[in-house]
Amino acid sequence: MSRRIWDIPGGIHPAENKQQSLQSGIIAANIPTELIIPIQQHIGAPGKPCVEVGDNVLKGQVIAGANGFVSVPTHAPTSGEVTAIESRPVQHPSQIDGLCIVIKTDGDDQWVNHSAINDYQSQERSYIIDAIRQAGIAGMGGAGFPSAIKLGIRPDTKIEQLLLNSAECEPYITADDSLIQERADEVIAGLKIMQWLVQPQETLIGIEDNKPNAIAALKQATADSNIEVVVVPTKYPSGGEKQLIYLLTGKEVASGGLPSDVGVICQNTGTAYAINRAIHYGEPLISRITTVTGDAITNKGNYEVLLGTPVSTLLSQADAKFDKTSRLIMGGPMMGFSIHNAAVPIVKVTNCLLAPTKKEIPEPDAEQACIRCGSCTQVCPAGLLPQQLYWFSKSNELEKAQHFNLADCIECGACSFVCPSNIPLVQYYRFSKGQIRKQEAETKKADQARERFEFRQARLEKEDREKEEKRKARAEAAAKKQAAKKAATAENTAASESGSTVSAGTESTGNTATTKLKSTWASATKRWKDAEKALKVAEKNGNDHIDALQKKVGQLKAKADNAKSLYDEAKLANAENADSSSSTSNLTTPITPEQPITPQQPATPPTNDPMQVLKQASADDFNTWKAAQQKVQEAEATPSDGVDIELLRKVEAEAKEKSVASKTAMKEARAKEKEAMQAKKAVEDPTKQLKLDAAITRTKAKKALKALESLGEDHASYGALKTAYEKAHTAAENAELALKAAEEA
Amino acid sequence: MSAVDSKKIIKDGLWNNNPVLVQILGLCPLLAVSGSIVNSLALGLATAFVITTSNIAVSLIRNYTTDTVRLPVFVMIIASFTTCIEFLMNAFTYELYLVLGIFIPLIVTNCAVLGRADAFASKNGVAASALDGLMTGLGFTAVIVTLGALREVLGQATLFDNMHLLFGDIAQNWAIHLVDDYKGFLFAVLPPGAFVIMGFLLALKNIIDKKLKERAAALLEKPATGSRRVRTTGNIS
Amino acid sequence: MSVLHVTSPHVHRPFTMNALMRHVIYATIPGLIVLTVLFGWGTLINVIFASIVAIAAEAIVLKLRNRPTSFSIKDGSAILTAVLLALAIPPTAPWWLTIIGIVFAIVIAKQLYGGLGSNPFNPAMIGYVLLLISFPLEMTTWVPAYTTEGITSVPTFAQSFAMIFGSVDRDIIDGITMATPLDTFKTYAGNDLTKLQSASVLQGNIAGVGWEWVNVAFLIGGIYLIARKIITWHIPVAVLSGVFLFAGIFHTLDPDSYASPIFHLLSGGTMLGAFFIATDPVTAATSNKGKLIYGALIGVLIYVIRAWGGYPDAVAFAVLLLNLCAPTIEYYTQPRAYGHKKANSGIAK
Repeated sequence: MSRRIWDIPGGIHPAENKQQSLQSGIIAANIPTELIIPIQQHIGAPGKPCVEVGDNVLKGQVIAGANGFVSVPTHAPTSGEVTAIESRPVQHPSQIDGLCIVIKTDGDDQWVNHSAINDYQSQERSYIIDAIRQAGIAGMGGAGFPSAIKLGIRPDTKIEQLLLNSAECEPYITADDSLIQERADEVIAGLKIMQWLVQPQETLIGIEDNKPNAIAALKQATADSNIEVVVVPTKYPSGGEKQLIYLLTGKEVASGGLPSDVGVICQNTGTAYAINRAIHYGEPLISRITTVTGDAITNKGNYEVLLGTPVSTLLSQADAKFDKTSRLIMGGPMMGFSIHNAAVPIVKVTNCLLAPTKKEIPEPDAEQACIRCGSCTQVCPAGLLPQQLYWFSKSNELEKAQHFNLADCIECGACSFVCPSNIPLVQYYRFSKGQIRKQEAETKKADQARERFEFRQARLEKEDREKEEKRKARAEAAAKKQAAKKAATAENTAASESGSTVSAGTESTGNTATTKLKSTWASATKRWKDAEKALKVAEKNGNDHIDALQKKVGQLKAKADNAKSLYDEAKLANAENADSSSSTSNLTTPITPEQPITPQQPATPPTNDPMQVLKQASADDFNTWKAAQQKVQEAEATPSDGVDIELLRKVEAEAKEKSVASKTAMKEARAKEKEAMQAKKAVEDPTKQLKLDAAITRTKAKKALKALESLGEDHASYGALKTAYEKAHTAAENAELALKAAEEA
Repeated sequence: MSAVDSKKIIKDGLWNNNPVLVQILGLCPLLAVSGSIVNSLALGLATAFVITTSNIAVSLIRNYTTDTVRLPVFVMIIASFTTCIEFLMNAFTYELYLVLGIFIPLIVTNCAVLGRADAFASKNGVAASALDGLMTGLGFTAVIVTLGALREVLGQATLFDNMHLLFGDIAQNWAIHLVDDYKGFLFAVLPPGAFVIMGFLLALKNIIDKKLKERAAALLEKPATGSRRVRTTGNIS
Repeated sequence: MSVLHVTSPHVHRPFTMNALMRHVIYATIPGLIVLTVLFGWGTLINVIFASIVAIAAEAIVLKLRNRPTSFSIKDGSAILTAVLLALAIPPTAPWWLTIIGIVFAIVIAKQLYGGLGSNPFNPAMIGYVLLLISFPLEMTTWVPAYTTEGITSVPTFAQSFAMIFGSVDRDIIDGITMATPLDTFKTYAGNDLTKLQSASVLQGNIAGVGWEWVNVAFLIGGIYLIARKIITWHIPVAVLSGVFLFAGIFHTLDPDSYASPIFHLLSGGTMLGAFFIATDPVTAATSNKGKLIYGALIGVLIYVIRAWGGYPDAVAFAVLLLNLCAPTIEYYTQPRAYGHKKANSGIAK
């Protein structure tokens, strides 16, 4: 049966260079003296080290547990002693370090207890999937996505095709090719496990037609099964997941979607082999096959190498000539990245180590102008317009780049490969993608900040409102009181027929003694009046107690009169006081530090800042003194006027004294104010700190909540996250409380 | 009006804020009729006349027009003066009137005219507005005549040809023929050529401005003499 | 080990812009040979002279713009512009004509817009159109082709050289030149049927005398370009189809006024335009669908201007007009990207 092949658009045919590494079979790599095992070799959360420095570990023992759903455990590739858990240079394109567990090998290569799962078909599927997960298997084609997640489909998802990706389209790489040639049965066994797990309608193996031996081996291995080997024409990048899916099924994975959305699961050859080892042998993923090639390598070939083996060790075994190589590439020549430190370890996704000579892969030529020749458009497998994306990336028009589907670029490098102007197009796209990510993160951050700000604003407003309400309530109560008082005053005024005193009375509200007197008088008058009324009523009614009442009225009247006279006296005294201070200026108003506020000060406008008042007073005093001084001088200059110079001099001296005194007073007040300010600040500071703390804890709580929401309940780490969230939440609440307390204090 | 102000107005109109070279206004007549010096000069002077007179008129009535009706009013004023100059040219320089044709009435739509009326005359006194109008007009005339001269030389290898159309019989012999048997460079005579030459004039203005700025900056940067010893021999390497 | 940090891809197709330009120049050789055989050495002299002028002009402008001079000249784009312009102008074109055209093309049409890759219009055609509208006489008269009746020899190298560099009186040149087939057809078509039928220049084996072979030669060069994957088939096929279709329709309706489609395909600059001018990547549309629309519209415009316009040939005008439309065509003919149901159009959301 011949199957229809859907041709992908674009694509290129770079020199294959695959024969060099296929001259010998799979070579077993030496066990190095030291293994460096990064805890993150897959996409997702890094693992959690579960061994200590100094521990002895056995081959296959878990050394870092999975940390979350999208994570897999890491195992010791051989037996030895953990010598360090520290940051080491790892396989990252941007050359950053990552946490690694360093194992000093003991050479015994002693296995930990492990056992195969016999007759996996009698087990629960979830048990097998968990076994795959526990074996630390992540996609070995390059991305390193945990395989268990891919296979752990929801029960309602119908998988139509299960694909095994054996296309291996990148030049130089033959890791899968050699694996199939030598261990096709084991690969197929792994594929069958997956077949049983996802129950697809059909199972296909996609392989390029430049691997005749592998094709033959696969055909033989699948002869008695319903697995079909589909040979596709050699073209880069037909081994890309989305490209292979289209090639074999004609289905396109929607932009931003997953293959399982269209009923397809695609797994790598190496992954199938690893699953086979995990289920049928109980061996976790601790080694892989890596192609070591390039003209600078003497013994080119495919090496079965323990994960964590430093690149330098492997290269020495392959007899690499470091002086000849122009660069060291981890991965293929199309999508691999150059590494600068040979101490970097081999990890789960390292399918190739390429050490080309300068002649083989020369340094790139200088970039020329884009002439929009459109070669890139012709080869783009994703159907994009690379030259437009280039112009937009170059001019930083990210919106336009996004509109032209920059996100769908798979960075296969076909466009850069054909560009006659040597423009590193992929680099431009990576940069733009990074910019877009950054922008999105910033937007998110800004949103969060805004949210926080709005929340705070709302809280402050609420507090203000509450305060305002309280204040209002107080003011209302005061106003009521005042109104009552006023009513009393008005009544009293009417009674005593002295309208002029009203103003005086209200004027001197500041003077409490006078006010008290006034109210006493008012109440006395009221009582007297009431009594009088009662008397009148009694008289009218002919009551028996008129005498008593009359007596009482007399008493009350006397009391009221007394009160009035007292009040009048006080008022007079007050008025005199005011008069005298206004006519003689400050000369007669002593200003002492003990009495900083002088509301009677006529020269100063009403102000509630004592400092201001003091300042004003001091200035006034100074002016008075100066004026006096001038007068004295004038008088001295013209003595004939008959002015009493002596008197003037005296006045001047007095004014000077006054001025000096007020100045000192002001200075003292200022010092006091400063002290007060400092004290206030001291009180405020811890409040600030508390506020900050509260904000931080609040954000933490929010983040935790978000993470929690995004995960869903069916998740393993849900419980842990929930606890974390609750903790954060409580912390936030505590902080808030502390803050409130501090603020109130 | 102070002396400094008028100096600034003159400078602005002729160079710093030249209607053509800086504001890029009034390009339609500029590109269409600047085929020779005589055409350019005639249109330039006519435009200068309209700008000046309309500026004066607008300035006079500036306090009596409301904002809402000011533009129609300004256009009416400009149209009146344009009609005046059209009749004048019809009477005294009939051939030129025929040559310039529609571009004389089109002065009404010259943005430079309305622009000055609205931006300057409606906010300033009569004398200042008159000066501004005159200078803007002269700036326009200067550019259009330069453009006309360049296009005449490139297109026909002549200068001051047909000047008698504007100045009467005394100008009959003013024409200068630079090259005998010139083939004629039609491109320069056609509007696209005007565009390109205009572009070069703009570039030239920018170069001159840049040079002037550099010179000014160099003058400012001159170190105070005597403050530091100057090394006169040897190299510092 | 090198510390050079290079991101993927690490390998490149060993094919540079320089090679691309070189191949296009190679592809013009058949046409150049036929032109030289039929019209004398003039075209070859013009090609060489124009190339020198172009390099000089490019070098001076690059220097003024503070750009790397030799690096940019090496890309070969200036020479290609010069070659295409020189092939388009008559073999008798005087030296100053070439200089004006080339300088305008390189300085104004290309470098003032930002140099290679940034020019919206095809520089060679801008130069050509400038010359055509400024010097219509010099640009439309050709020496008669060798195969024309009564012509037994073409100008020798010395004669051609003298004609170009001005030691021969222009009147003598004008005396021996004659109109091209397209020109002749335009003059007589629809009004003087007898002259149209008897005009010797129109009596070629397939189309107009001489020009048929020139166009066939450029067609061969064009096929070489497609075979070498320097250009794709879309634009030339669309251009030629456009011309053929329109010429076919009108020729069927009124054969006396409208020339046959074969005549249109093999006259004037049709083939040069379709394979060498319209395919200039900088100024053309780049998506395949866009290329088809762009090419077809050029073809239609060529015919429309030839049939009803003021100039006998129209390739330059048609190409320049469509250069203007290329960005718009580009925005509305984007290919459908993988994983998207519909193709994008427009420039942004």
